Amino acid sequence: MNSKSLRVLSVLLAVVLLVAFVPGCATKTDTSDTSGGTTAPKPSIKTAMVTDVGGLGDKSFNDGAYAGLQRAEKELGVEIKVLESKEITDYESNIDQLATAGYSPIFAVGFLMTDTVSKMATAFPDTQFAGVDEFFDPVPANVVGLNFKEEEGSYLAGVVAGLATKDSFDSKLNKDNVIGFVGGMDIPLIQKFEAGYIAGAKAVNPDVKVISLYAGNFTDQAKGKELGYSLIEQKADVIYAAAGQVGLGTIEACKDKGALFIGVDVDQYETVKNSGSVILTSMVKHVDNAVFETVKQAVDGSFPGGSIKIFGLAEDGVGLAPFHDFESKVPQAIKDAVEKARTDIISGAIKVPTTP
Amino acid sequence: MLGSIITPDLFASALRMATPLALAAIGGTICERSGVVNIALEGIMLCGAFAGVAVTLAIGNPWLGIIAAMLAGVAIAAIHAFTSINLRSDQVVSGTAINILALGVTGFLMEIMYGHPGTTEAITTIKPIFRFASESGNSFLGTVWHWINTIFLSHTPIVYLTILIAVVAQWAMYNTRWGLRLRALGEHPRAVDTVGVSVLKGRWVAVLMSGALAGLAGANLTLEQVGSFTENMTNGRGFIALAANIFGRWTPMGSYEASLLFGFADALQIKLQIFRGQINIPSQFFLMLPYVLTVVVLAGVVGRAVGPASVGKPYEKG
Repeated sequence: MNSKSLRVLSVLLAVVLLVAFVPGCATKTDTSDTSGGTTAPKPSIKTAMVTDVGGLGDKSFNDGAYAGLQRAEKELGVEIKVLESKEITDYESNIDQLATAGYSPIFAVGFLMTDTVSKMATAFPDTQFAGVDEFFDPVPANVVGLNFKEEEGSYLAGVVAGLATKDSFDSKLNKDNVIGFVGGMDIPLIQKFEAGYIAGAKAVNPDVKVISLYAGNFTDQAKGKELGYSLIEQKADVIYAAAGQVGLGTIEACKDKGALFIGVDVDQYETVKNSGSVILTSMVKHVDNAVFETVKQAVDGSFPGGSIKIFGLAEDGVGLAPFHDFESKVPQAIKDAVEKARTDIISGAIKVPTTP
Repeated sequence: MLGSIITPDLFASALRMATPLALAAIGGTICERSGVVNIALEGIMLCGAFAGVAVTLAIGNPWLGIIAAMLAGVAIAAIHAFTSINLRSDQVVSGTAINILALGVTGFLMEIMYGHPGTTEAITTIKPIFRFASESGNSFLGTVWHWINTIFLSHTPIVYLTILIAVVAQWAMYNTRWGLRLRALGEHPRAVDTVGVSVLKGRWVAVLMSGALAGLAGANLTLEQVGSFTENMTNGRGFIALAANIFGRWTPMGSYEASLLFGFADALQIKLQIFRGQINIPSQFFLMLPYVLTVVVLAGVVGRAVGPASVGKPYEKG
């Protein structure tokens, strides 16, 4: 290769890399002031979040955390910023960039960022960190872990699925007493969803067969559809997916072969178009509330550093979305059973397991 | 238990999952036979998947989406052709850059066009060609019909088109003047040059064809299988396709058969997971099966597979 073509190529590759990194560093900042932490302290705080690889637009917990920040911006007048992670290797550089620029508290969204947050909390002892879905032991003094009792919400989803599969309020329900679960990665966080779902279903329908399949990632929709097909072939008529975008493929399978779907994290009836005919309900996780409350505490000077906050049914951190199109079809008995399970969990009469 | 693993859907699923792999693998075969390594298949597939959804969302016609996906594939492949054929750069470097570019560009375009990265709105997917009732009665004939219907007659157009492409490409590679020249380009480009046939042009055509095929693979993923685009949704399929190309010994039919094997391994691991609870094996064990198979096949079974002699070497006239 001669030197001229080498030069052309190197310029070309530089442009390619530049373009490739633009979205990786895409920011959502609403003020033009990006000066570092060297200026005089401002009256208001600057808070920021680092997304997981799912990124904004995941119609799930990253969007939920962002909604919490936006609310804080509007109601508390704080400055907000978002850095998206395209790869797992982006976590550290994104957090480092924000901490260096003086953002605090920094929200690290996603279980996979736990170790990075621990490390960066030591490197930046004066910065406050909040880890969504992250559990620390011991908790560094400048870190708060925001965790959810997904198993409690999933228990309610299991109650609905366990009773629905015995019922016949919709033509997609069969008589085989089998329900399905689709997980993203087989990690403790997702196992909480699975465990709660199974416990809820078995509590109201001891003979029900629950089949759990894992995709191995959170992005491969085509795999999610194949998992859905396999569950439906095994006669599953209600499928609950805790698998990020993989679940969108499972919805396609449900629409194609006729099964009911239970969404996750947000009310997927609202976020996934043209799927109301299969989405029975969703297990919602109020990440937005948890993020907003934490920003509010930081503004008030009562940031709960060094602690783990757990949001369950009692704290309204998790719950079930409305039945929407199925509202009139779902028998009152199922709604009553959900309500009873909710009160029993809140009162402590039911202890929901966290591993299947 | 066996009856729940060996089901008609196991084979249908294998065919579905083999399709994007096979299209990209055949593209890779044509490209490498001409002497150009194409590890950009992954990125090209991703761009095709995105272009297919974007055009379908804008115009509402998934068939135009398929054409757009192929054109997007050709456009990205043109970058690879220009750098590796005209500029004679390292083909692996160029391919890697394109894979990174594809990941960034699709996310960037989503941000511009839809205001958010992540996942696009859903389109209505292309439906299977045939929709025969599948009565799973207990009679022998009913069962046979159920199997045939599910395995062979339940698919979307590109699944069938892929089989046709594999057969035609195999025939063309060994029975036409184009095929002879293509093979000669990868083995001994100077010989092609001395008989007055342009090496540059021949390689350009081959690289663009691989782009069209990988783009079509992307269209199969988004327009037929799932109906929306998610960032990085190809999830390594382009690299598995490269392995399928090698396992298939750089022939179109071989690539198709190897893809079928990988698709089958993936379908099988899903069915095996159903019994995870009963035999108490972690799901990760099943999830790794297709990849283990890839390593075993490449390291053990293929052994001395020898690629085209001049693959990866830029041709310099003179």
